[in-house]
Amino acid sequence: MSTVVKKSINFTLNGEPVTAPEGTVILDAAKQKGVFITNLCSNPKLKPFAACRTCMVETVVDGKKELVYSCTHPVAEGMEVTTNTEETDRYNKACLEMLLVEHPLDCPICDKSGVCPLQDNTDALSLYNGRFEIQRRNEPSIKTNPLIEFYLNRCIMCGMCVRICDEIQGVQALDYHKRGYKIKIGTANEEPLDCEFCGQCITVCPTGALMDLSSEARGLAAMFTNTETTCNFCSWGCTIKLETKKGKLIRIEGDETLGVGINEGNLCAKGRFGHGMVQNKKRLQTPMMNVGGEFKEISWDEAIQTIAERITTTVNRSGPESVAAVGGETLTNEENYLLQKLFRGVIGSNQVTNLNHVRAPYINAFQQKCIEGGIVSKPITELAEADVVLMFNTDVPSEYPVAGNSIRKGAIYTGTDILIANPRNVEFKHESRTEVRMTYKPETDAAIANRISKILIDNNLIDTAKTKEAIPNYDDFVSSLEKFTGSYTEEFTGVRDAELTRAAERLGRNADRFILIGNDIIDTGQGEAILNALLNLSLLLHHGGEGSVSIYPPREHCNSQGVNDMGMVPDYLPGYRPLNDAKAISRLSSSWGTGKLDKLLQKDMVADLWKNCSQGAIKLLLIAGENPCHSSNRPSTVKEALRTVPFLVVQDMYMTETASLADIVLPTCSYAEKEGTFTNMSRHVQRVASAVLPEGESRPDFEIFHDLAQALDKPFTHSSPSEVQKEIEKMAPCYQGTFPGKKSVQWTPEESGHKPEFAPTIETTIEDSPQGYPMKLISNNHMFHIGSYTHYAKALVDIGPSCVAEISPEDSEAMDIKSGDLIRIKSEMGFLDIPVAVTDRTTPGLVYVPKNWVDVPVNKLRNGDRGLIPVRINKQG
Amino acid sequence: MDTPDSENKAEETATEATPEEKKICMETVNRILDSFPSRTRRYLIPMMSKIQAEFRYLPEDIIKFLMKELKITRAEIYGVISFYHQFRVTEPGKYIYKLCYGTACFVKGATIIADKLKEKYHIGQGDTDPSKLFTLEFASCLGNCGAAPMAIIGDDTHGNIDPEKTIEICNTYTL
Repeated sequence: MSTVVKKSINFTLNGEPVTAPEGTVILDAAKQKGVFITNLCSNPKLKPFAACRTCMVETVVDGKKELVYSCTHPVAEGMEVTTNTEETDRYNKACLEMLLVEHPLDCPICDKSGVCPLQDNTDALSLYNGRFEIQRRNEPSIKTNPLIEFYLNRCIMCGMCVRICDEIQGVQALDYHKRGYKIKIGTANEEPLDCEFCGQCITVCPTGALMDLSSEARGLAAMFTNTETTCNFCSWGCTIKLETKKGKLIRIEGDETLGVGINEGNLCAKGRFGHGMVQNKKRLQTPMMNVGGEFKEISWDEAIQTIAERITTTVNRSGPESVAAVGGETLTNEENYLLQKLFRGVIGSNQVTNLNHVRAPYINAFQQKCIEGGIVSKPITELAEADVVLMFNTDVPSEYPVAGNSIRKGAIYTGTDILIANPRNVEFKHESRTEVRMTYKPETDAAIANRISKILIDNNLIDTAKTKEAIPNYDDFVSSLEKFTGSYTEEFTGVRDAELTRAAERLGRNADRFILIGNDIIDTGQGEAILNALLNLSLLLHHGGEGSVSIYPPREHCNSQGVNDMGMVPDYLPGYRPLNDAKAISRLSSSWGTGKLDKLLQKDMVADLWKNCSQGAIKLLLIAGENPCHSSNRPSTVKEALRTVPFLVVQDMYMTETASLADIVLPTCSYAEKEGTFTNMSRHVQRVASAVLPEGESRPDFEIFHDLAQALDKPFTHSSPSEVQKEIEKMAPCYQGTFPGKKSVQWTPEESGHKPEFAPTIETTIEDSPQGYPMKLISNNHMFHIGSYTHYAKALVDIGPSCVAEISPEDSEAMDIKSGDLIRIKSEMGFLDIPVAVTDRTTPGLVYVPKNWVDVPVNKLRNGDRGLIPVRINKQG
Repeated sequence: MDTPDSENKAEETATEATPEEKKICMETVNRILDSFPSRTRRYLIPMMSKIQAEFRYLPEDIIKFLMKELKITRAEIYGVISFYHQFRVTEPGKYIYKLCYGTACFVKGATIIADKLKEKYHIGQGDTDPSKLFTLEFASCLGNCGAAPMAIIGDDTHGNIDPEKTIEICNTYTL
C-alpha cells in the first residue's frame, strides 16, 4: 500500500452496503463485489475511457436520479447504485446492438469464442434478436508481422489495445487512424508492427480482432484445456495459462482474473510466445551415452545404473567430496531440494552449488544481511502502489518487462516517482510526473549509491539519531562515506550532484520505496561493492526514514531464488540454515534417516568449481539443466574443466554445448510437463503444473533423482512433489504455508531484524583498459531471449532473429559507423563480427551486445573474472 | 535541441540527407518550433499546421524530427495526421482543386465534374496528377451553394461550373 491514504467511501450497490477507496469507479467496485455490469472497454489496469457505452447504471445521490457510465463514474458517499434496471438495460442493449451490426458473427472460427466479452455481454443482455440487418465488413486480415494478426472486421473500437500499449507497456505502437466510419486501429500507415511484442493487446482485445499467430490452432478457446502455471523465463515469476488442445500446447495467455498471480495478466514476449521450446522435435528424446565422442542411445535403466555405479566407485576411491552437483536455476524447488538431499543425504557430499552462486556468491549474503537488518521487503504485488521506485542498473523493458507494467500503472494511479540509475540511457516510457535520471559512467555504480547515502545523512533527510541507535556500526559507516563528496562523485560518476540530491530527497521522504537491481551489476565485476552500497542505503532508509523499503536481490532465471533457498549451495542447508547449525542438521538427519550428517563439514570444492574440475579434485560432476559453456563468464575455463572431469552427467532438454561434453546425457521435462514450484526474485512461491505429456522418453528431474537414490540403495521415502513439499516445510521453516503455490505466497524469513549492520563500503575504481581498447562492452539478456531455450521457440527467433550490437550516436559519428554496418569488436581475448545499430540508449564509450546468441559468444571476449570488457571497434568491409 | 551544439548537429545530419535545401528546411522547422512556448506534445497540431503552411505538406523527414523532439511515437503522430483531412503527407500539386461535394453541388452535378477531371487528368479524390499541377480534394459544403456546383482552385473561387467550363478553367492554370 502506498503511504498516501485514500478515504473510504460508503455507498450501496443494488441495496447492499459497500465500501471502496475514494476514486474507485462504480464498475470496478462492483467487480470487487462480484456484481457483473456489462462492459467491453473497461479494464482495471487502464484509465477509464467509455468507448463502448454499454455499462450504464442508475445512481441516486441526495434523492436525485441519474444514469451514468459506470466505467468512468467514481463512487460517492451515500450513492445508491442500481444495475440492470429496465431503463439501463434498454440503453445498454441499444449500444450493443449497434456494435453487432458490423461485427461478423464468425464465432465458430474465432480465437476468442467462448472467452469473448462480446458474447458474454450479448448473452447477459439477452440480446437474441437484433433489430438491425447485419452489415459485415470484409477486409482481409493483416499479417505483416510474424506474431500478431489484425482481423479488423471484428474490431469494436474499444481502444483497449491502443491504451494498454500506451499506458501499461509504454510503447504506443498502435493508435486510432482516420475517423468516423473509416476509423481503425493499427500502426502508422499500416506499416508492419515493430514493437516489444508483449502481446498485451491480444489479452485485452475483447473480440478476437487481434490474434496470436504463433499458435497453429484456431477457434473455440472454450474447447482448450487451461493449465495455470508459472513462466519459466525470467525471475519475475508471472502466472501464465497454458492452453492445450488434444495434447498439444497451443498458446500461452495471461490470466487477468483478480488476485491470480503477481502479474495481473501482464506478459512479455518471452512468456507469451516462447512456447515453441516445449513440444519441439529438437529436444533430447532418449538418454544417451558418449562412446568415444559419439552419442549412443541407451535405456533409462542402463543410464541410471551406470551413473549410480560411477558414483559409488568414485566415492569409494576418492571420498564423497570428489562428487559434485550443479543445481538448475530452471528446475523446480522440489527438484533442487531432492538433488541436494541426494548429495548430502545419500552420497554424503556437500559439493552442491548453482551457477548463480558460482558467479556471485555474495548475493545470498546480501539477501541474508537485508533480512538480518530488518528489511523483509513487501510482496511484489504491491509494486504498483509504490511511492517511489529506484531502478538500479536494470533495463526494465528487457530484464523484467512485467515489472515495467506494474511501475507504469503505479505512475498513473499511485503517482509513483521514478528514479533510474544506469550507465546506459535505457528507455522507460511512463506517465509519472517525476523522473530522476542518473546516467553514470560505467563501473561507478557503487559511488552513486554511496553518494545518495551520504546526502541522506549530511542533509538530515533521515532521522540519523534513530539510525545510530539501531545500527551499532553507524559511525564506521559514516566515516567510510567521507570520500563521497559532491565534487568527487560528480567528477567520478559524471552525474550532476543536483540529480543525486533530488534522488536522495525523494527517497528520504515518507514513502513506500522499491529498489529493483539489475543482473548487470554482476557483470561489472563489482557486484559485492554495489550490493553493499545498496544494502547500506536501504538500511539508512529503513531505520531512519518513514515508510518502507523493499529491495530484492538480482536473480536471473525463473528459479534462481529457489535453487538457493533449497540449499543447493555449499554454505547453506535448506532455508539458509548454516552448515554448523546443529538443530538444522539434526532435523535433516532424523528426517532423511541417514544417520549423522557430520561429514558435511568438508572442504569446499565448489567455491572454485572449474579449477577443481580441471585439476582433478572433482571426479564426477552432475549438471542439472544448465549450460555453463555458454552462460559462464569464463567459457574457455569451463570447457576445459568439463573436458577434464572424469565423469560428467548432464540433464537437459536440449543438446546444449555443455551436454555435448557429457558422458551421459539425460533428457528432462520442460516446465510444462512437470509439477512443482518456482520461487521468484521477490520470494513468491508459485506453482508449476504439467499441461502436456513429456516429449519422447524425457522424464522430470524429480524422477531421475528418485531413481538415482534407489539405484544407490537408499531410496527416498516420498514419491510425489507434494510429499516433498511437506518435507521442505519442515526442513526450511521459512517455506511454511507457501505450498502448493497456487496463491503466490511470499515466504517469510524466520528471524529478521535481529542484527542490523552496515556492510563495509568497498572502494571501487574504473578498471584501467589495456592500451588500444578504449571502449567498454556491456552485455545482458536481449528483450526476446533469455537462457538457452528461447532460440528453440520459433516465434521468438522470428522477432529477434539476429544479434545486433548497439553504439551511441556520438561514437557513430566519430568513427563513421552507421546503423547496419558490420563491425569487428575486438578484445584482448578475441573478436566478434556483428552488425551494429546506432541508438540513443547507448552512451559514448560503450558497446552493447546481447549475450543470447550461441553464434555470437560475447563471453569469449571476456578475460576471466574482470568486469566490463575493454574492447575496440572497427568497421568491417 | 536546446543547446546551440545539438542544433548544429541536427542541421548536419539533415545536410547529409540532401544538401542545402534540407538545411534551410530544418532551420525553418526549428524556427517554427521555437515560436511555441515549449517543444511538447500539447502544441503538436498548431506546429503541424504551421509546418504545412510553410511546406504545403508534412515531409517524412520533418515528421521524424517532430517525433523525436516532442517524444511521440509514429503511430500517435500518424493517428493525428490521419484524423484531420487537412494534413497531407505527400507533396500536393501546385494548386489544390477543392471540388465541393456538399448536397447542393452534389445534386447539381459535382460527380460529373469529378468524372471529367478523372478523364482529363486521371485523378480521383486525394490524387495528384503526374505533372504535379493539381491535387483533387472533395470538400464538404464550401458555403457557396448559390453558385453550385462550385470549386476552389488554389485561392480562386469558381462558381456555376460545368464539365466543359471546368476544363477551360483548368487550362488557365499552368505550372
